[in-house]
Amino acid sequence: MMFVIIGITLCLPSAGYLIVENVRQISTKIQHEAEISIFLKKDISQDQIDFIDLALKNSSEIKKIHYEPKLIAWEKLQSKLKLSTLDIGISENPLPDGFFITLNTLSNVKIKKLTEDLKLISGVDNIVIDGSWIKKLRAIIYMVKIGLFSLGTLLVIVLIVIIGNTIRLQTLTYQNEILVSKLIGATNSFIHRPFIYTGLIYGLGGGIITVGTLKSIVFAFNNVAEKYEYILGNSITLVGLSAVDYLIIVLLAMTIGLFSSFFAARQSIKKLEKSY
Amino acid sequence: MIKFDKVFKKYPNEMDVLQDINLEISSGELVFVTGPSGAGKSTLLKLMSAVEKPTNGSIIFENTNLSELRNKDMPFLRRKFGMIFQDHKLLYDRNCFENVVLPLEINDISPTDSARRVRAALNKVGLLSKEKVNPITLSGGEQQRLAIARAIVSRPSILIADEPTGNLDKGYADEIMNIFYSFQQVGVTVIVSCHELPQSPIKFKQIHLIKGQISNSDKYVPLLS
Repeated sequence: MMFVIIGITLCLPSAGYLIVENVRQISTKIQHEAEISIFLKKDISQDQIDFIDLALKNSSEIKKIHYEPKLIAWEKLQSKLKLSTLDIGISENPLPDGFFITLNTLSNVKIKKLTEDLKLISGVDNIVIDGSWIKKLRAIIYMVKIGLFSLGTLLVIVLIVIIGNTIRLQTLTYQNEILVSKLIGATNSFIHRPFIYTGLIYGLGGGIITVGTLKSIVFAFNNVAEKYEYILGNSITLVGLSAVDYLIIVLLAMTIGLFSSFFAARQSIKKLEKSY
Repeated sequence: MIKFDKVFKKYPNEMDVLQDINLEISSGELVFVTGPSGAGKSTLLKLMSAVEKPTNGSIIFENTNLSELRNKDMPFLRRKFGMIFQDHKLLYDRNCFENVVLPLEINDISPTDSARRVRAALNKVGLLSKEKVNPITLSGGEQQRLAIARAIVSRPSILIADEPTGNLDKGYADEIMNIFYSFQQVGVTVIVSCHELPQSPIKFKQIHLIKGQISNSDKYVPLLS
């Protein structure tokens, strides 16, 4: 019973951490592939386009340049939407020519400077930094992490109280044994030992249940996601925590068991000693 | 071996339980601590066995002043005593063997050696055939013999018994006292508290307490039966 209580209690913040870690990994990946879209003015000449292309190629912050003429962009859009110009009632191509560049820097300062420089080039109409929402996502992840940390701390306190109370009740059950052992020369560490082992076993069992539950959640989620892949059009997979993370969860549970049982046993045995 | 020098013991919000106790017990002696209920016999034994510390005065045991002993050293000193209590203080969730082996577990003796010593102790008190039995099924006399086996298994140099025959009828009481006499004969110091002086076939000393004070005329009188 105690294993299940510890397991489930630790599962709540751990599952939150699992989700946050997955979102964080995705956001990191996206940020590395962040692009800047440069939309050109409609009446731009080919010379100006060549000049912008050259300017972009000379920039050290740019990793990859892709030029998309408005005609191709328009065709792609139509084919994607499976519509013809007649269907939507537009006779003229509304899209501008555009450069889509991938940066080789993540520095906000450098990105800002580059955007400002690009805005000064004649023929550039609008610049969109595709990675701006990443910042918001990261801020949300950070806030969620703080929330999870607070929740985790509260749950750890709850666990300490639950384990401590169980150990305290056990010391009362073994009251006679403790008193007799004390009278015939048992040291405090000898008397504390079985209670500390109990706390450690509680932690170990609870930690294993937490790891098992997390693995089951990942397995079940990925199974369901695989089934709905054809509907969603994309495969969404939940990546489980690393072996080190799982080990940390088990060790954390054991540490909670160890400390709560040690302090509860010490406190309770001190009270019992007065009844010699 | 044990020397009390101007020892006083007072519990919080109570009068002095023991007052101005001066006594000396040599190695290998048989000592009876007698007196009526509330005279301070149990407190005297608790002070001797380092279960309690005196309020004033000094208790010297083998060159160690028990009054100045640090709490963490107390358990190691207690291992030198074999303690027997009126209510036996046996563990009824363990069998006889497991009860007797407890002091050896505390002393970290190997299981093989422990088993040999436990059986020897049970044999000494005539309970070898009942090693697997739960003590709750034993008679009062047998339970007290089991408590003696637990006290002697770690081969202490002193046996301290607090009213060991208090709840027993005369036949069982004599049986228990005979076990104590046999230990005294092999050089163990035996200190026994009781209401009345038993008929002892061997030489003994008496410390008679009344209202926390030694009432023997010279406060320490060796007697012969």
